[in-house]
Amino acid sequence: MAADPKMRFLVVDDFSTMRRIVRNLLKELGFTNVDEAEDGAIALQKLQGGGFEFVVTDWNMPNMDGLTLLQTIRATPNLKHLPVLMITAEAKKENIIAAAQAGASGYIVKPFTAGTLSEKLNKIFEKMGQG
Amino acid sequence: MNASNDSADLEALFDSIASDYAPAVPAAAAPVAPPVQAAPVTAVGDSDDLQALFDSVAAETQASVPETCAEGGDDWPKQEAVFNRIGHMARALHDTLGQLGYDKVLEKTMAVLPDAKDRLAYVANLTEQAACRVLNATDIAGPLVDDIENSSRALGERWDKVFANQASTEEFKLLAAETRAFLKEQLPQKTQATHGQLTEIMMAQDFQDLTGQVIKKIVSLAQELESGLMGLLIEVLPETKRTEEVASLMNGPVVNAEGRTDVVVNQEQVDDLLDSLGF
Repeated sequence: MAADPKMRFLVVDDFSTMRRIVRNLLKELGFTNVDEAEDGAIALQKLQGGGFEFVVTDWNMPNMDGLTLLQTIRATPNLKHLPVLMITAEAKKENIIAAAQAGASGYIVKPFTAGTLSEKLNKIFEKMGQG
Repeated sequence: MNASNDSADLEALFDSIASDYAPAVPAAAAPVAPPVQAAPVTAVGDSDDLQALFDSVAAETQASVPETCAEGGDDWPKQEAVFNRIGHMARALHDTLGQLGYDKVLEKTMAVLPDAKDRLAYVANLTEQAACRVLNATDIAGPLVDDIENSSRALGERWDKVFANQASTEEFKLLAAETRAFLKEQLPQKTQATHGQLTEIMMAQDFQDLTGQVIKKIVSLAQELESGLMGLLIEVLPETKRTEEVASLMNGPVVNAEGRTDVVVNQEQVDDLLDSLGF
């Protein structure tokens, strides 16, 4: 499935630099409809407002961390279909397993490259197309 | 006031605890401290301070809750056990610190910690500024490069027409003039502006020199603190507690993955792990 360039992304990270980098990379991949949230709690508020089709989130954040955000999304009927890609510095195997079990659509460890982001997004789009 | 009575009791308690405890302190204390039995109260220089502290605490306790002490009934033995343990730990900690010289190390470290916090805040500040400068520069340079690419492509397509004999003489003349203007003015202007942004990106790295110096100082401070605390922990921690690992899912970046099997070091390993689990 060719991804819709108008697809609306929510980038969740407590560091503005990281949000800006992810936003720029998404722009280079053709996705310009991007909003940002600085932690899981704010992200959840924005998601409840509706209109988002893709979530890219960090793990370690104040107020609500990325795993809790993911679990909450999966437990919320009107959000649970959303693809959630985790981009995080957490590199323990149990982190990756916990994220996968919680229903993450993809897992990228920092530091990462533009190529990795593109590859993981495409993989998720493919799966969405099949499903 | 019967505080003095009480502190005598306390003193006796600590003495008994300290002498109980002293044999358990292994040979590590030997080079620094006098032999074990002599050690408890008199040997350590600032046990006077400690004594005064205990006295004041004891007096307060006495004043605020007299009944508990006087006629505690069934509850008192339990509380006494707790106080005994706390007294035991406080004395053991104090003596060990004194004997091993860690009190001075820790005192020094505590004094420099606020400074270290300021230094780290400075590092965070400088690196954030640098990141912003670089991102701003790429935001400016990106459209410049895009312009060059688009203008070149447009001119190239028009030249293709000329070579395919699809352009009139007028069009050819106009194209030649525009191309000349592009090469002499627009292109150098935009490459110079891009170059300016590249310089900006380079200059934004000047934080590394400053943060590098600051970080080195903090690393050496952390090493001192670590060795002091490690030594202390090894002295006072029961054997069984030493190997308990802290399990957490929020550890931040893996700074040193060497010899660890519980972490991944690159994206490939993430993908392999997920594949192997069928995700």
